[in-house]
Amino acid sequence: MKKLIFSGATLLLLAAVFAFTIAQGWQPTDKYNIGFSSNDAGGVFKKFSGNIIFDEQNTTASAFDVTIDAASINTGNGLQNKHAKSDEWFDVVKYPVIRYVSKKIVKTAAGYQVTGDLDMHGVKKELAIPFVFRKTGNTAVFTGSFSINRSDYHIGKPGGEVAESIKVDITVPVVKK
Amino acid sequence: MFKRLLLLGVLAGMLAGVASIVYQKVYISSLGADFTKIAAPVGIIASSVLGCLLASLGFWLLNKWLKQKGEIVFNLLFSILSIATILAPFAVKLPLDVESPELFPGLVVPMHLFPAMAWFTLRPLFIRETAN
Repeated sequence: MKKLIFSGATLLLLAAVFAFTIAQGWQPTDKYNIGFSSNDAGGVFKKFSGNIIFDEQNTTASAFDVTIDAASINTGNGLQNKHAKSDEWFDVVKYPVIRYVSKKIVKTAAGYQVTGDLDMHGVKKELAIPFVFRKTGNTAVFTGSFSINRSDYHIGKPGGEVAESIKVDITVPVVKK
Repeated sequence: MFKRLLLLGVLAGMLAGVASIVYQKVYISSLGADFTKIAAPVGIIASSVLGCLLASLGFWLLNKWLKQKGEIVFNLLFSILSIATILAPFAVKLPLDVESPELFPGLVVPMHLFPAMAWFTLRPLFIRETAN
């Protein structure tokens, strides 16, 4: 009898620990917006996918692994799109995917901050992205804004008309998995 | 002559507008690229009529000022301006939710030539003689 109670209690404890460490998975909807802007150029990436695991109460078990199809860039102008996809800029034939994999997510005063590796144009660099998470029932929205230096990723020629600093605005509505 | 020129402008504009809308329908059905939100039929007809009316006004003014040489100058100017405007669609920045913006110039570039074609086609029906 003692053995049975002990086994049951162990199982319950394991179940509780397991439930605590597995954070909520979220599925991005198709209403996302991955936009970028600078003094001269601006646009969006139309194809985005990935795994999003996030729990406000358990950021240590949360993780992002998201990819953007570099060829899905849209500046609103056909000639600019062609130029952006060329080997001078994103070189989408050689580097078809932009990937961000989180390493750490922490709570901040304004929301959260994820630190991870951004792999873009063959260059992998650590990047911290502040974001806000707004949950409503089974849906939620991740929003974040940050700037990156395009020359850090060897995108475009240094200098020129397009500024070095590119502002990125991300809005990703999600639903519970 | 001015009234006939105005009538020519309106009718040539309507003809160019109808030709543009027919071309747009063929373009959409063959390539699947729909730009009707940007190049709406009403806008196409209105801009075609406006272009042809301006052409009529230009024709009248040039014939007043330059007499016999007015027609030659007008024909050259109208053709050159029509061809020059085909550069504009290549530079236009469409809303970011519009798919395949690279197909947009292929739609609107021919439309820029239709007003001149329509105006020159209908002109002999309205204006037989220019300034003496």
